[in-house]
Amino acid sequence: MITDIQSSKLVIISDLHLGNPFSRAKQMTVEFINWAVREEYDIVINGDGFEIAQVSFTQIARDIPEVLNAMKQATKAGRNLYYVVGNHDIVFENFLNDWGGFKVAPFLNVWSGDQRIRIEHGHLYDPFFVKNPDLYEFATWLGGFALKLHPSLYNLWIRFEKFKSRFRKKQTKGILGEHPAFNDAAVELLNRGFDTVVFGHTHHAGEVDHGDGKKYFNSGSFMLGTAYIEIVNGVVQKKNYPFKMKMSRLDNVIDNVSNRIDHVADKVTDQIEKASDKMRLP
Amino acid sequence: MAKAIEKKFEQEARAYDDGEIIFREGEETREMYIVQRGEVVVSKKGPRGDIELAILKKGDFVGEMSLLESLPRTATAKARGKTSLLAIHPGGFLLKIRRDPTFAFEMMQTLSRRIRMTNENLMRELGRDIAQKEAVQTALTRSEFDTANEIVKT
Repeated sequence: MITDIQSSKLVIISDLHLGNPFSRAKQMTVEFINWAVREEYDIVINGDGFEIAQVSFTQIARDIPEVLNAMKQATKAGRNLYYVVGNHDIVFENFLNDWGGFKVAPFLNVWSGDQRIRIEHGHLYDPFFVKNPDLYEFATWLGGFALKLHPSLYNLWIRFEKFKSRFRKKQTKGILGEHPAFNDAAVELLNRGFDTVVFGHTHHAGEVDHGDGKKYFNSGSFMLGTAYIEIVNGVVQKKNYPFKMKMSRLDNVIDNVSNRIDHVADKVTDQIEKASDKMRLP
Repeated sequence: MAKAIEKKFEQEARAYDDGEIIFREGEETREMYIVQRGEVVVSKKGPRGDIELAILKKGDFVGEMSLLESLPRTATAKARGKTSLLAIHPGGFLLKIRRDPTFAFEMMQTLSRRIRMTNENLMRELGRDIAQKEAVQTALTRSEFDTANEIVKT
């Protein structure tokens, strides 16, 4: 099983969920892969590229051939293409090896320049997935029905997670919207000789600077946004691919309402902080 | 002198200066180490002085044999340049695996790689040994044949 690789130029995307009825990542993924090939990047799909938990076979038939074809073209052009397995595509693992000409791995330890970088999907650190796997699977299956009502309901959930984590933010360093366990897991890895850790899974793109040149990134979701991670000679950056995503009317409403709530919540938390600072003894 | 930077129940970061000994061959210590920064030179006493076995870099493991088997150190480990290591105590090993499961996977990969390399070396040595034996056998057969020839001539 390949886990140790070297690359001077690499891009990472994750959580495309191709085959899921609410995934609109196909067009952007194909464009992104073609762009990465032209720019001579190696490519990593950091888990949940394909969907099995909330699958629609019609959607799979629509999405996958075009994306696999782009992947095959990438490998034909001499680019290295790696697929890190996530929790929504574990059962695909055996097929993936034969499909796109890419290398399948449970995680990747990348040497880029003098930097050692861990790329991993991150579901192993999700407390819900690890402690209650059956309940997690059931909730995912149930969530599939909600998404059938309207795919944008997922955006509402993502916004709720961000809002919820505001109350954790002050206690733990981490990416807004994520459970603190992911940041703790990244620190555990950073302590054993990694300079940077990149997870996916949570769909919350972001980065945390742990000082001394150590950083934790999340590649977010290519289904919900345009975030990707770029590594050039050991320098890791979170970027956005310039792609105009189509937004439904409900998406726009959710965005507007959430932004207003965020704005109010920012003000409230600032006031609380100021008040608690005043109350603190010198 | 090694100093503890961050002390916890199961693991701690330790800093070493250039040339400082991490552990000596025969020593009865049990921690294993992961290289955070710098390099570690692993060597073993040989009949004609120390033999350098490996140079370990960022992310590599050292000392895991003593942790896993509770046996004295089989080699000496020395820091090369300013080096910082994460020391894992036997009591905290399973906790570490629980928090960082891919650590166990990487350890198994390393141990598997070592077994494969040892097998390859063994086969190479055996092959050389067999070739030597065959050469001796051929030489012996030839010399026996020559001796018999000489007897017949005389």
